Amino acid sequence: MRTGWLICVLWVVCLAGLGAAQELRVPASASAGEEATISTTGSGKATFYLLGPGVANKSEVSLGEEIHLRSQDLRSAGDYLAIVCGETCRSSSFYVTAAQPAGLTFLVHPSRVPAGLGEAITGVALPFDQFHNLVPDPVVVNFHLTAGNASLLSRAVRTQNGVAWFRTNSGKSAGKLEVVATLGTVSASRAVQQVAADPCNLRIKGQRTPKGIVVETDPVRDCSGNPVPDGTIVTFSAAGADGRSTVDAPIKQGVARAQIEASGPQVISVASGVVMRNELRVGGQP
Amino acid sequence: MTSRRIPEKYFRRAATVFGLGAVLLAGSFSSGAADSSVRLQLDVSKAGPRAVESETEQVILRDYRSAWTSIAQALEVNTLDRLEGPFVGVAKKELEDRISNQRRTGLSSHYLDQNHKVQAVFYAPEGDVIELHDTAEYQLQVMDGNKSIHDEHVVTHYVVLMNPAADRWVIRQLQAVPQF
Repeated sequence: MRTGWLICVLWVVCLAGLGAAQELRVPASASAGEEATISTTGSGKATFYLLGPGVANKSEVSLGEEIHLRSQDLRSAGDYLAIVCGETCRSSSFYVTAAQPAGLTFLVHPSRVPAGLGEAITGVALPFDQFHNLVPDPVVVNFHLTAGNASLLSRAVRTQNGVAWFRTNSGKSAGKLEVVATLGTVSASRAVQQVAADPCNLRIKGQRTPKGIVVETDPVRDCSGNPVPDGTIVTFSAAGADGRSTVDAPIKQGVARAQIEASGPQVISVASGVVMRNELRVGGQP
Repeated sequence: MTSRRIPEKYFRRAATVFGLGAVLLAGSFSSGAADSSVRLQLDVSKAGPRAVESETEQVILRDYRSAWTSIAQALEVNTLDRLEGPFVGVAKKELEDRISNQRRTGLSSHYLDQNHKVQAVFYAPEGDVIELHDTAEYQLQVMDGNKSIHDEHVVTHYVVLMNPAADRWVIRQLQAVPQF
């Protein structure tokens, strides 16, 4: 009876030994671009496979020895599968996580924006490590917006799911707006051109001439006082007893000027974009 | 006019050729139908700051499913042409490298019975990037030549970045993570 038990125990031990012959222990955690090792048990030769993002390696290994994983095979963050095949195949998987942030993808919109517009500028920053892996762990990105020497925005945003973003108003002044995202020693810079918004407070003056009426705007500016760019179209309309006529004129050197051919008394109005302003009454030709 | 009798062996050959053709045709249909084997649910209700438009949701659903069909086909037969279109940047490079290495070592990977539960977690204010979290389940089989060396039911979490391109949404980043 005792002999029987002893044989049974020995049999179980042998089975366990065989089962453990090709065990492999993968790293609990590995960082992208760093070497790692996989330990194996057993003895004899076996085939080792490593599959992961960008990787499908096959090599001969000696069981019982450590398998060294080269840094260049672990550059991509993701899941890796290690397989050892001798008599049978054993496998285990592990994750490689992104390394420290080394770069920022920074998307800023728009590239050209009217001054003084609410919630007009947006920026999205995504941190990546030196191997172009997204860094999903929370990090703080600082956003700075400066126009000339004036700071428009300074905001620290913690990434969520690997993304930090902001939305803000455009500045009051036309000109270059520098948008910078900083993460530690890493920064990315973008430029947004702020341009004058729609004309504001259009004013006109006019006088009769032998050929009709010459009308002219005051210097055309937006509501923040920025000169509206040359080429912007201003529409002059004249209404009189003989009907209505319209003339489009581009702004040149800040003002728009037009000649309207009309003889009787006229009411002249001016508009640009959605802005319409004062009416000017001009008497008939003497 | 004389009639010639066609020998029976020619009939047999014709039948064989027709049969092979039918099998090949059926095979091509079944590979085309592999798309339907990728089950995918997309939830965009928690996406922000921009809400995902209904049309965009449908296109992302279509293109993400198609991308996984391409992954499965490309890694099964080790062909690069399936990657043209659905992938750009790092995601494309990693898949190309994987396939090149599989070719070199004689390996192939089979992604079977795919089931993806996808949640959109970020949609940029200007709509130029969307981040998806995909909890993917599939049967992964790895072959060394004709020998199966691995067969396992896998659950993996993927962080996905997609951008709109000319006629579709493309995957720029496809990165597995231990957890969301």
